[in-house]
Amino acid sequence: MLLPTQIPIVPNPLPPKTLTRPRRRDAAVSAAYSVSDESLSARGFTFHRSTERLNLDHLNSVFASVGFPRRDLEKIRTALEHTDAVVWAEYEKTRRPVAFARATGDGVFNAIIWDVVVDPSFQGIGLGKAVMERTVAALLRKGIRNIALYSEPRVLGFYRPLGFVADPGGIRGMVYVRKPKK
Amino acid sequence: MSALLLSSALNLCSGPPLVSLDFPSTPALALPRGSRNQKIRKLKAGFWESIRSGILKNNTAQVIEPASTAEEEVPFPEEFVLVERTRPDGTVEQIIFSSGGNVDVYDLQALCDKVGWPRRPLSKLAAALRNSYLVATLHSISKSAGEEGNGQKKLIGMARATSDHAFNATIWDVLVDPSYQGQGLGKALIEKLIRALLQRDIGNISLFADSQVVEFYRNLGFEPDPEGIKGMFWYPKY
Repeated sequence: MLLPTQIPIVPNPLPPKTLTRPRRRDAAVSAAYSVSDESLSARGFTFHRSTERLNLDHLNSVFASVGFPRRDLEKIRTALEHTDAVVWAEYEKTRRPVAFARATGDGVFNAIIWDVVVDPSFQGIGLGKAVMERTVAALLRKGIRNIALYSEPRVLGFYRPLGFVADPGGIRGMVYVRKPKK
Repeated sequence: MSALLLSSALNLCSGPPLVSLDFPSTPALALPRGSRNQKIRKLKAGFWESIRSGILKNNTAQVIEPASTAEEEVPFPEEFVLVERTRPDGTVEQIIFSSGGNVDVYDLQALCDKVGWPRRPLSKLAAALRNSYLVATLHSISKSAGEEGNGQKKLIGMARATSDHAFNATIWDVLVDPSYQGQGLGKALIEKLIRALLQRDIGNISLFADSQVVEFYRNLGFEPDPEGIKGMFWYPKY
């Protein structure tokens, strides 16, 4: 969930604000990516939608570079085996992952997007947005419409232009932090 | 716990308001559950006798919990009697908790109807259950006085969690039959579900709560927006 420090300047794929909400959502469902796979490939990045060629040690390094605690590789492997969608960007020159996102859920109704990361050396050029758009698209293709995530306060502005709304209708994200007081 | 707090089945937001339910309806599918093994914890005979005599004497409800400590090895999936009580007419009712996910999808749909959730296609309900990491249920079993055999069993509560099996789990679809609300059953359901998740080493347990049930989950150990982290949804219907 740690994200680029700058919001890249790319054409906004969202329809104008004059449309009513349901139509805006429908339009977003069928919108093309802000930046195409071809365009990103021309800049040296390949997008993958499976973990087949993903080196977990390299991924762990990207996590570490953005401040995640280093996690057990076997646990990462297990987590990736139980995922509804995974998207990662490979920098062709180094053959290493530089951006990543995964989503878990029940495969039909709900999904949560976790671990959205961009290597700090590659932030600010639109990779985070690209990875997010593709992750959402993969979930929508499966018919999953309830897509959620937990955002750190300083990157709310990253997710908003992507169509994410905080606390819609007063719904609050909650995390188990302790044993309940008796 | 007031009825208001648990109205609309604790309304976690996987509940239909946010989901665009425009899937074509499909023929009903039975939920394949045969492969799942359920271990039923047998209570010791002496324990049963003491409970039974207590019930016959006092006609009061007893809350029976397995005496487990943090160190005790708890077999999974778990199934145990949460509450046992005798009605004035002599029937004995047991509320059984199970983490084995033994849910009849037709029963589940009937329960969703009871709490007022919009209909979801049965096949998708079945798939969602199959794809969930843990499905916890509450069933009520009623036996007439002196009746042998299994008695009448009905689904009165459910909660499920999706997970990546390693780091995170998210709780969805928490519901308790309105006629059984206000008795602490929802609380017990979530407490047991949490315990099951913690025992499987899932470190991060999260959920999304409608504003009227935030307090309910706070009392169970959940904190809203910890460190300012916000739940966000993609083009919600609100």
